[in-house]
Amino acid sequence: MDIFGYYIPIELLFILCAVFGVLIICSSIFGIISLKNKSDSISELVIRTNSWWKMAIGITVVATAPAIIGTIVLAYVVFVALREMLSIIPLRTADRTVLVASYIAIPIQFYLAYKNYYYLFQIFIPLVMFISVSVILVLTGETNRIGRSMAIIPTTLMLTVYMPSHMVLLFHVSVPGFTVGAGGLIIFLIMITAFNDIFQFTWGKLLGKRKILPRISPNKTWVGFIGGVFTSGVLGGALSFLTPLDYINCFYIGLSLSIIGFIGDSIISAVKRDLKIKDTDDLIPGHGGAMDRLDSIVLTTPTFYHLLLFFIEN
Amino acid sequence: MRKLFVAFIYTILVRPWLTFFIGVSFHNVKHLRDAEQFIIVANHNSHFDTVSIMAALPSELRKNTCAVASGDYFGKSSLTVSLMKLFFNAILITKKVKPGELSNLEVLDQRIKEGKSLIMFPEGSRGNPGTISSFKKGIAKLLKENPSVPFIPVYLDGFGRVLPKNKILIVPLICKVRFGSPLFATTNDTRTTLEEVKKEILNLKKKNERDRNQFEFY
Repeated sequence: MDIFGYYIPIELLFILCAVFGVLIICSSIFGIISLKNKSDSISELVIRTNSWWKMAIGITVVATAPAIIGTIVLAYVVFVALREMLSIIPLRTADRTVLVASYIAIPIQFYLAYKNYYYLFQIFIPLVMFISVSVILVLTGETNRIGRSMAIIPTTLMLTVYMPSHMVLLFHVSVPGFTVGAGGLIIFLIMITAFNDIFQFTWGKLLGKRKILPRISPNKTWVGFIGGVFTSGVLGGALSFLTPLDYINCFYIGLSLSIIGFIGDSIISAVKRDLKIKDTDDLIPGHGGAMDRLDSIVLTTPTFYHLLLFFIEN
Repeated sequence: MRKLFVAFIYTILVRPWLTFFIGVSFHNVKHLRDAEQFIIVANHNSHFDTVSIMAALPSELRKNTCAVASGDYFGKSSLTVSLMKLFFNAILITKKVKPGELSNLEVLDQRIKEGKSLIMFPEGSRGNPGTISSFKKGIAKLLKENPSVPFIPVYLDGFGRVLPKNKILIVPLICKVRFGSPLFATTNDTRTTLEEVKKEILNLKKKNERDRNQFEFY
């Protein structure tokens, strides 16, 4: 369907209308309640919903705008996430040069993804940056705790830059007869990941008893995890019209993304617990920092990309 | 025209650059809303401190606010002096005052009497990263001389890592500028006032929060 000269596939339009419809309903319900009841929990919900509005608008831009704009927006989000991670992990004054090199890696990685130089894309951070970080650290000459920096900076780069940059590769997925385009794939991935968090939380709150990772995040339970995995699988199947796959394969993808999203969430939780912080920052009101929101999507993005390609080819 | 140019530079360039690139966020700027004249006192870690406080101010307050800076450090070349005067309305003070000239305290006092607001770093220099060194007495004397002027404590978090002393490389990392509410000195005693000011600045640091002005915090 054409909107202001822009072609937006009907499936994409449908899902965006659904998302914004839910947001409008949530906002109006919370708005009406907050008029009468001015408790903290309600104002917290209002703040959270307002943040969801901004995130939904951002995701819509990435999914519907031309690939170059989507790439730039994603690169900036990754920059914010990396800045946040580098601000909380333990580093040394001598590491500042490497930090600049890490920031420079973002435009390079996203350029490679945008141009679909797949081979270079795959080796740039795991190989080139991994070695460059160590070399720059050695050249700096400060050996006290150099090993910690050599380990922690490439890991952070892998987690916050390499993993989410796979989302740009979705712009190059082309299947004959598939008209929804990359926007549908991106919305599918983000919706499954976001709703998976909600499903796991809700199942855990309703029925959860046995803790799955008591020392890392005490709120996560076995029921929440298993319930979340299956509900996400069902949602994946239901959203299969956004992808070139049939609903069985989308069900499998939903299951995998749910498990991987749980792992990503737990990794960031464990790191936060180690650093004795609750949120990575206070960038998004009601949600914490950018990395608090991106914790599951950093791992689900490459998983989704590779599973998608696997199912398309087979 | 000059004021318009400076305001333009701050809103179009400096503020977006600080917030979107460097990662500075401004907290509780609303405390400045009812203030007319004030002395901002902050901890000092980096050259970014003055820029960030200046950028946080609304433009009508900014043109009336002077940053107090070291003439010994910034007064070396005429270019830096004119830039400092243009963008920070800088009052350059030197350690050794020539005989016959006004003392530093008298210069600052005169500016306050003219109705100007000041930005002061009572630590004197950028000091050691992450530690707040002892405060110079000047701020207490100024507050004593001008009892109608409140001081606004500001806690600057993270700037010591973005651009530490003796470094040129600027690294984007999260920083926070936290404003406190305008306060008046309760006593005339210099030492008590200094303690008070220091306490108010440290109160703005969140409980259990790690000091992000230095790297080696583990």
